[in-house]
Amino acid sequence: VAKTSLSSPPWPEVKLPDPVEEAKYHAEVVRKVNGLISAGHYGRLFAVVHFASKQWKITSEDLIMMDNVLEAECGDRIRMEKVLLVGADDFTLIGRPLLGKDLVRVEATVIEKTESWPKVNMRFWRRHNYQRKKIIANPQTVLRINTIEIYPCLS
Amino acid sequence: MVVLSAARWVRSRLTDRFWRVQEVLKYARHFRGRKNRCYKLAVRSVRRAFVRSTKARREKKRFLRALWITRIEAASLEHGLKYPAFISNLVKSQVELNRKVLADLAIYEPKTFKSLAALAQRRRQEGFLAALGDGKEPEGIFSRIVHHH
Repeated sequence: VAKTSLSSPPWPEVKLPDPVEEAKYHAEVVRKVNGLISAGHYGRLFAVVHFASKQWKITSEDLIMMDNVLEAECGDRIRMEKVLLVGADDFTLIGRPLLGKDLVRVEATVIEKTESWPKVNMRFWRRHNYQRKKIIANPQTVLRINTIEIYPCLS
Repeated sequence: MVVLSAARWVRSRLTDRFWRVQEVLKYARHFRGRKNRCYKLAVRSVRRAFVRSTKARREKKRFLRALWITRIEAASLEHGLKYPAFISNLVKSQVELNRKVLADLAIYEPKTFKSLAALAQRRRQEGFLAALGDGKEPEGIFSRIVHHH
C-alpha cells in the first residue's frame, strides 16, 4: 500500500518486546537484585510506608510526627507493616500495592506523646454579632525510625 | 449577725483590665502600624487574623496538592510522559503512591522516579495494544492484576 497521510493510523506504531526474551531478562534482573540484597551491596535504604492514614517517605534515623494518639507507651518498638516501596541506590522494589511482610521490615520507637501548639479556631460573621473562638490542641506522637531491613526472598 | 445579700454601697470594679487587653495585644505585636499598639484597632485586626488562619488551614491542603501535581507533571515531562498518562497508568498497575510521596521521590530519588515513569509507559503501551488489537493476542505482562488474600 502506498504511504499516504491516511494509509496508516495517525498514532505511532507500538511494538512490545518478545515475551520469551522478556521473561529471560526479567529472571536475570531478579537474580541480580537477589544477589545484591543477599551480599549486602546497598547503602542507605529508603521506604514508603502507609501509616496513620498517610504515606511517609522514610529512612533510618528519621523522626516522624503524627497528629493523633497511638496506643503504645513511650519507648515501645513498633513494626510498620504496610510498606509500598523500598529502594536503595541501585535498585527499587515497588509493591503492587504492598510489599510482602517477609521481604521488608521497618522498625520504629515511640519517642514522645505531646499536644500540638494551641491553634485558634475562630468564626465571625460581620454585622450579625456572631463570633465563636475555640482553642484546639491536637495530641501528637513522635516516632523515630530505627531500621529498615530487606531479605533476599524475591521470585 | 448573718448577712445574706451584699451591701448596696459596695460596687465591683474591674481590676484586671490590663491583662485582658494584653491577651489580645500579644497576638498583634508583629502587625504594622497602630494596630500593634492600640486595643480598639488591634481587636479588629486580631479577629480577622484568626478567621483568616482558620480558613487558610482548609485551603492549605488544596494548595499543597496543586503544588505536588505541578511537580509530578514537570518530572514526568522530563521522562516523556504527561501527568494524566503517568497517574492513570500507575493506578492501573496497582501502585498506590499518593501525590505527596511521588513529588518527594521526583525531587530526592530521580532513579526511582525514572523507573516509575518507565513502568507507566509500558503499561500505557500494553493498554493501547489491548484496545487496538482486541483479538486473541496474549495480555501484557504489566497489565496482570495481583490478587492478595
